[in-house]
Amino acid sequence: MSNFIVLVKQVPDVTQITDNAFDPETGTLVRGRLASVINELDTCALAMAYRMKDISNSAGKIIALTMGPPMAAEVLRYSLARCADKVVLLTDRALGGADTWATANPLAFAIRKIVKELLGGSDDYYVVAGMQSVDGDTAQVPAQIASELEIPCIAYATDVEYNSGRFEFERIISRGSQVVSPKTTPAVITVAKYEYPLFASFAATRRANETELIQWTAADINAAAVGISGSKTRVIRVYPPGKTNRKCQKLDTPDALAKILKESFSKSDDSKAALAAKTADYILPAKRAKKFDKSFEGTQKENNDYQALAGLLDELAIKDVSEITEDVKEKILDSPAASFHKKALGDMLASLSLREPAYNGQVWVVAETNDGKIHPATFELLGKARHLADSLDTRVGVVIAGENVQSYCKDLIAAGADCVYTAEDKLLKEFDPASYSKVFEQIIGRHWPQIVLFAATPRGRVLAPMISYKLSCGLTADCTGLEIRDSSRKAQTAVLMQSRPALGGNVMATICTKDSKSQMASARSGVMKRLAPDPNRQGKTINEPIKITDKDISLDIIKTEMSSGSVNLAAGIIVSGGKGMQNRDNYEKLLATLSESLSKSLKTPAERGASRAAVEQGFVDRIHQVGQTGTSIGPKLYFALGISGAIQHMIGVANSEIIVAINSDPNAPIFRHCDYYINGTVEDVVPKLVKALA
Amino acid sequence: MNQSDYKKTSVLIVGAGPAGLSAAITLKCKNPNAKICVIDKSHEPGNHNLSGAVIESEVLAQLLRPVDKNWALDPLAKDVLVGKVKRDNIMFFLGKKFSFNIFFVMALAKKFGICFGQMLHGDDYIVSVSKLTKWFAGIAEKLGVEIVTGFAVEDIIYDSQKDIAIGVKLVDQGLDKDGRPQPNYVKGEVISADAIVLAEGCDGLVTERFIEKAALVREMPQLYSLGVKELIKVSDAQYEKFTSGRVVHAMGYPLWTPVLGPAMFGGGIMYPMGKNQIAVGMIVGLDWKYCDFNPQDALTNFKNHSFVKKFIAGGTIVQAGAKMIPEGGYYSMPRDARTSAIGSGNVMLLGDSAGLVNMMKIKGLHNAIKSGIAAGTAIAENTQSSVALASKYTELLNRLGVINEMRSARKFRQAVAKLGPLFGMPLASLGQKTPKFTPEEDYKELSSKKYKYKPAKNYDKDTFTAMAATTHREEQPSHLKIINRNTCAQKCTPKFNSPCITFCPAGVYETVAGQVSPANPSNCLHCKTCQRKCPFDNIRWTVPEGSGGPRYQNM
Repeated sequence: MSNFIVLVKQVPDVTQITDNAFDPETGTLVRGRLASVINELDTCALAMAYRMKDISNSAGKIIALTMGPPMAAEVLRYSLARCADKVVLLTDRALGGADTWATANPLAFAIRKIVKELLGGSDDYYVVAGMQSVDGDTAQVPAQIASELEIPCIAYATDVEYNSGRFEFERIISRGSQVVSPKTTPAVITVAKYEYPLFASFAATRRANETELIQWTAADINAAAVGISGSKTRVIRVYPPGKTNRKCQKLDTPDALAKILKESFSKSDDSKAALAAKTADYILPAKRAKKFDKSFEGTQKENNDYQALAGLLDELAIKDVSEITEDVKEKILDSPAASFHKKALGDMLASLSLREPAYNGQVWVVAETNDGKIHPATFELLGKARHLADSLDTRVGVVIAGENVQSYCKDLIAAGADCVYTAEDKLLKEFDPASYSKVFEQIIGRHWPQIVLFAATPRGRVLAPMISYKLSCGLTADCTGLEIRDSSRKAQTAVLMQSRPALGGNVMATICTKDSKSQMASARSGVMKRLAPDPNRQGKTINEPIKITDKDISLDIIKTEMSSGSVNLAAGIIVSGGKGMQNRDNYEKLLATLSESLSKSLKTPAERGASRAAVEQGFVDRIHQVGQTGTSIGPKLYFALGISGAIQHMIGVANSEIIVAINSDPNAPIFRHCDYYINGTVEDVVPKLVKALA
Repeated sequence: MNQSDYKKTSVLIVGAGPAGLSAAITLKCKNPNAKICVIDKSHEPGNHNLSGAVIESEVLAQLLRPVDKNWALDPLAKDVLVGKVKRDNIMFFLGKKFSFNIFFVMALAKKFGICFGQMLHGDDYIVSVSKLTKWFAGIAEKLGVEIVTGFAVEDIIYDSQKDIAIGVKLVDQGLDKDGRPQPNYVKGEVISADAIVLAEGCDGLVTERFIEKAALVREMPQLYSLGVKELIKVSDAQYEKFTSGRVVHAMGYPLWTPVLGPAMFGGGIMYPMGKNQIAVGMIVGLDWKYCDFNPQDALTNFKNHSFVKKFIAGGTIVQAGAKMIPEGGYYSMPRDARTSAIGSGNVMLLGDSAGLVNMMKIKGLHNAIKSGIAAGTAIAENTQSSVALASKYTELLNRLGVINEMRSARKFRQAVAKLGPLFGMPLASLGQKTPKFTPEEDYKELSSKKYKYKPAKNYDKDTFTAMAATTHREEQPSHLKIINRNTCAQKCTPKFNSPCITFCPAGVYETVAGQVSPANPSNCLHCKTCQRKCPFDNIRWTVPEGSGGPRYQNM
């Protein structure tokens, strides 16, 4: 009789952004001005839990749990109106402001209390959660809960079946899918997609409105780490994402378009190499020309303040921080050139006296292998790690685990590694989050690199939170920017500034680690640039002793399917068709030939996408749907054929580097939101373009 | 309570708009123990409510005084009641440039007791009806009324033998595009109630079913108009120039140019909505003749008129939406043939569902609220069997002066429909002495004539629907049904060039693979113009799953 604890979260509705939601001063999204909804993937988690209960004929309970302000009760009522038998609201001021570490910890303690008090201590339960929330988008909390509870974690589940007394989950892996079953209960399941979210019934909705919620405070659950003080990361600043200005250039012939496309793809290859080859843009304090130079601060204001301070110290002929007496401080505060608060000045002076970096050790990359190959994201991370290590004057390490990994070492060194730490064991033949995280924890905990980078792949996004949680380190997920900077106000030198989009890409946040021995981050694939491999590079390989037993294998792998036919909307080129394709034949024929020819000519993988309208007309399956209601994408080239360009569609492709549109309607709105366009019918333009590309 | 008890209630109100909520508030004030459940298909109260709007201040006091003597001091009240009308511009536009303020004509009319005098708006509050509705919903909930949104009613279960409605049936959820149940299918529940209040708004789906089932009659067919509206954020200077207490109602161009131009009934509006936002709208009688006409084109022309343009040029549209208005008035009110009740047995029709719009005033909100007060009072005071409710309600409507007011404006709209604005308007100034005309349904008026002022560029319907924030679950069966596809291909397209494609404000209809079809049902704004203007009466609007449709916040 299995029970199900479903984690639900209230999030701002990023799909319905009102005009007043942006702060006119800073341009950032003001969260309080958005309506609140239940996180969409959590609705899938509820449906999956209900399905599990149904197919196993369980008489157990479904209990929804949320942590949040009192108004988060709404998502619990949502759950009650659908399938939950009981709901628990964890609410307390002390829990506010928490990062994922200080969220997972109290939630795990609440789960323990639920098991004890509401499930009679039964071990037969599953924690079911949406894989990630749309606001934080980290996908860390469920895996960290599994770490705290020391139970198996199955991430990215998309379906479930019940065979001979156990649940078998289908889940997404890199370039394929897998059917797995946890070896033991309890287990954490995170849901990446589930097609049929539950509907509320009228009667259950009325009942939900009358039901009294179980409400617990921080004291009730007695968690180890809560709120801001329990967090392992700190948000440095939040800012609007850079605005892209589309060129909206009209082209008269397919030939002109082909020429531009070829040029921009070859040009960006150069700039890619240039980026990766760029040398350090951070200098350690000890190596700076001027002692009071602090040009590596976070914000412009901080830089300006330091400049003003350095100028004043020069004027006063101060040579060392130790010469600054109370008298000097008074003088500085009185000076008209500076407008610091007394406390700010104290912080700045404290930071000037800091010469030593806050962290020591190497910069590491956790390698991922797949199908006997190193995942491309690992090479991208190595390029970034090299850049960071050069700034910090330290070395780049790679840690790699598997049954037999020696053969990979050469390529890793050629790609920028100085040291490769290997862990080999027969038990590591197949990837298992529990065994792999245990191995990496042992090695990282032995060497304590100052930075550990993971690829934000399906595998990396479950490993990273488990490892960081066990090692009590802060972790930032899915970063798009990683830089070394001083964090002077908090008096830290040479720390890793981790930047990432949040709230559905509507804001950017820069985050840094605190109270941790190592700074950990996962980075979005396709953003960091790899170095050109250098076969002459020297490096060493270190075999690491590890301890694992077959008890550390948490999952039975029942079936693995690597499919070439799956949809890869992360491809560099997406060719989408809309209603203007007229019929399914046209859609299939024209998109196939164009994407093939673009892929060949521009040497970049291409995938087919579709507008909502094209999916509705039955031109193609819904998994191809691009846009706000489909998949949001950010390829290098987005090619829109016969798509009018409704706002809902354009928001979903806004991260594309180049947008090209072909449409027969001269007034098509997409012409105002693209870089290049041709006004003409797809039947006419596409064949000509294919010819021009060849 | 066990699960099945949640499928029963004492009073069921269909539609959480101003009328339905007024009924709930009134009843709860008079009988705090009443079990009242209000059901609405929108995601949240107010999401499907759109109007100008101005509202008579007296009626608000009448409704809310029993709740709280100091209702007007509530901070929410101050947020909803943007301001009072201080400047009442009644304009006549001639061509793209010229405008005349004809306020003095109306003021004179009022002085001499000519019916047009009703058109003045002094002392009215300027409001957004979506905000007003949300406010009413909050008041009702505080009084203990259950408001359940996100559920759509598709039918009423009516026993014609006993003249009593047993309950309503909700729409099924979780069907796929072809109408097959998905794994998450939930059959629409049947909710039973002792008294049923139909306050669905204009052209209510259940209301029309009920009218049919209970054989209620309208003396004349209902006439409709379509209102399209944009909320435009303008500069400080523009807003200051417009002034926060001014309302503009404009006749003439681009709908009507006497003798020379088009002759349609309707006009443009401009209302200040606070925070530098001006609501700009166009209301057009659905009896227009021009097969290529779209009210949004008229809105474009109105916005480009020199009088309007100076206030909104360079502004950004922050919200948009469309809604029909029932304009037929007195003669189009559905009544029980035997008792003359507006409703029948234990079922009452309120507000726009009953057609309580006074076209002389161009207002219906006050009557909607009064009908709510009447229905709430009828239920509270009814000591006989519930079969007498509709009669009791109608008697109270009469006592509140609603029926008389509707009578006083009864001939106006029909005269214009029959004779056009040029002759109809002056004739209607005779008031009660105006001859009685019986017009045809709106859709029969369409001809192959073209609209003279068609703008060069098509109206951007995609942005319009995006600004209405409309959504539906994509995989459900299309809620728009074409009865006979051959009629489209063989009659309509050759004769009128498929006008639904043009006039649907949300761009729902398109030609796909040579066939006119409701290609984008998920863009639908629930205005229902298609089922009232299709020249062959060949479209039916059915109700989609609950929570679908627009999400108006400040319309």
